[in-house]
Amino acid sequence: MDGSILTDNLSTLVDDRVDEGMFRVDRSVYIDESIFEQEISNIFEKCWIFLCHESQVANHGDYFWTEIGRQPVFVHRQEDGSLKCFINACSHRAAILTPFRQGNAKTLTCRFHGWTYKCSGNCVGIKNEEDGTDRSRFDLREIASLASYQGFIFGSLSADVPALDDWLGAAKIWIDLMAVQSPEGLEVVPGSSTYKTDGNWKLQAENSVDGYHVSTVHRVFAHTIAARESKGEYTGIGKTESGRISGGVPTASYDLGNGHMAIWAQHTTPEARPIWEARERLKNELPPKQVEWILTKGRNLYIFPNVMLMDNPSTQIRVMKPISANQVDISVYCVAPKGESTKARAGRLRKFEDFYLTAGMATSDDLAALEDTHEGSMARSAKWSEFNRGLKSITHGADADARELGFEPQACTDNWNHEVLYHGFYRHWLRMMKGEFQG
Amino acid sequence: MTDLQQEVTNLIYQEATLLDRHHWDEWIDLYTEDAVYWVPSWANEEETTDNPEMNLNLIYLRNRGGLEDRVFRIESRDSYASVPLDRTVHVVGNVLTGNEKAGEVEATANCIIHSYGKKGGLTRASLYDFKLRREDGELKISQKKITFIDDRLEGPIDVYHL
Ligand SMILES: [Fe+2]
Repeated sequence: MDGSILTDNLSTLVDDRVDEGMFRVDRSVYIDESIFEQEISNIFEKCWIFLCHESQVANHGDYFWTEIGRQPVFVHRQEDGSLKCFINACSHRAAILTPFRQGNAKTLTCRFHGWTYKCSGNCVGIKNEEDGTDRSRFDLREIASLASYQGFIFGSLSADVPALDDWLGAAKIWIDLMAVQSPEGLEVVPGSSTYKTDGNWKLQAENSVDGYHVSTVHRVFAHTIAARESKGEYTGIGKTESGRISGGVPTASYDLGNGHMAIWAQHTTPEARPIWEARERLKNELPPKQVEWILTKGRNLYIFPNVMLMDNPSTQIRVMKPISANQVDISVYCVAPKGESTKARAGRLRKFEDFYLTAGMATSDDLAALEDTHEGSMARSAKWSEFNRGLKSITHGADADARELGFEPQACTDNWNHEVLYHGFYRHWLRMMKGEFQG
Repeated sequence: MTDLQQEVTNLIYQEATLLDRHHWDEWIDLYTEDAVYWVPSWANEEETTDNPEMNLNLIYLRNRGGLEDRVFRIESRDSYASVPLDRTVHVVGNVLTGNEKAGEVEATANCIIHSYGKKGGLTRASLYDFKLRREDGELKISQKKITFIDDRLEGPIDVYHL
């Protein structure tokens, strides 16, 4: 490593000369710990960060412990149904206040010295309290910003963030396409998995909307499913689709602005999707274009910087927690429309398990590829990763599909093999790193 | 040790050995056609999910075909996570055997699994809950539930890591 990257030099990391046919990123962005420290302070501690889904804190007293960057926080459902989010550290000596990652407690008592806090964050008990103590000095520290969009809860340590709706912008309708699938909303299904990844968080961000790798890394998945089907197994909703993976279907990629990115690919067997059973209801409830997108387009959405929402054969919330330049923890949850049939729910879960987990038959291969990419980035003698595929196919603003659905991307192309969506990601990354993004 | 205990213990040992030595087809042959292979996920720090159909599992295979999928992928040599293949050593112990009733026996065991691969050496552990069934005089596995005690998982996990 050649020492720390000064703010002045950040621009040299992203070689953005699209007019000359070149967009490339210095691979030190994946491996340099000083860059990572700056990401923590300038991105993760400044941005809206996805915290949890509302179904994970449904009732008064429900809490969910997560991290903003590296700072522990917990979301707590209040008596009046509203939400608050606090720094997860006792005001006295900083012990974590929630015994579990997720649970219910209408008051929280620190297990170290027994200080007690109400759901509201007010300090209401100090063991062996001394005369004249002003307890209000010890109320829990609320984070600066907290807001929800369609049940997805975001928070920020910064008060200086744009309104969440404005921040999500063109990504909003992609969230809607998941959230409107049931009039009762979505729920996170019991069970989850967290896996430690020896690679930079931005490689995971890239991978989540990388259509180009699918026909190589997941070729074996498609072959495995084809072999399964040739034996006549797992039919109907029990089927796991592989047509999308084999290629040759319509696809597209989008730079949604603010670092958000998305891709879709046409399903070859939409009737095997768990949402198919609800198609008539959806047609009555929603505009035809939304129904078409929900039923027939497999979608991957990346919301800058820490969450991915997948609606493919199954549906997933994937959350990143950056540990260091070289490591990111990834937690995955199956999110599903409330009220779907048990058959659809079981089908959704089996598809999830087939593909998505580190114990599954596809995400495990993604993980291995990602870790190899990270390791290869250590080769400082070859320092650039190019993102030039699709340069000649860029549409600035909306394409016909985007216009019909009603969102305005920064740019798009008609092929998920293209890499130009990453330009928006790295441009936004650079703006935030330089402290230039003011909402 | 009774004959049944010996028979059950041998079967469980044999499974571990076949996995470690990559005798995949013989491994699958230890299972009945309708065998369930179930690795629940953790619902919270203390409990795994307990309804495999309606909750998220790490792996839930509802018949032997599911095991065949896994072996197909390993043998294809086209799976990024499985080339090169991790080396593994399973050490099985604490085998406890119930009584045989109408050709069915339940057994539990513990397993320490040491693997070596790109991440170096990793040691992990599983609790096994077996249901065994006698078919043509021979005991086969009709259900294996694996409680994989690790939660923050390191690296890809496949049937030979568990
Ligand atoms: Fe992938």
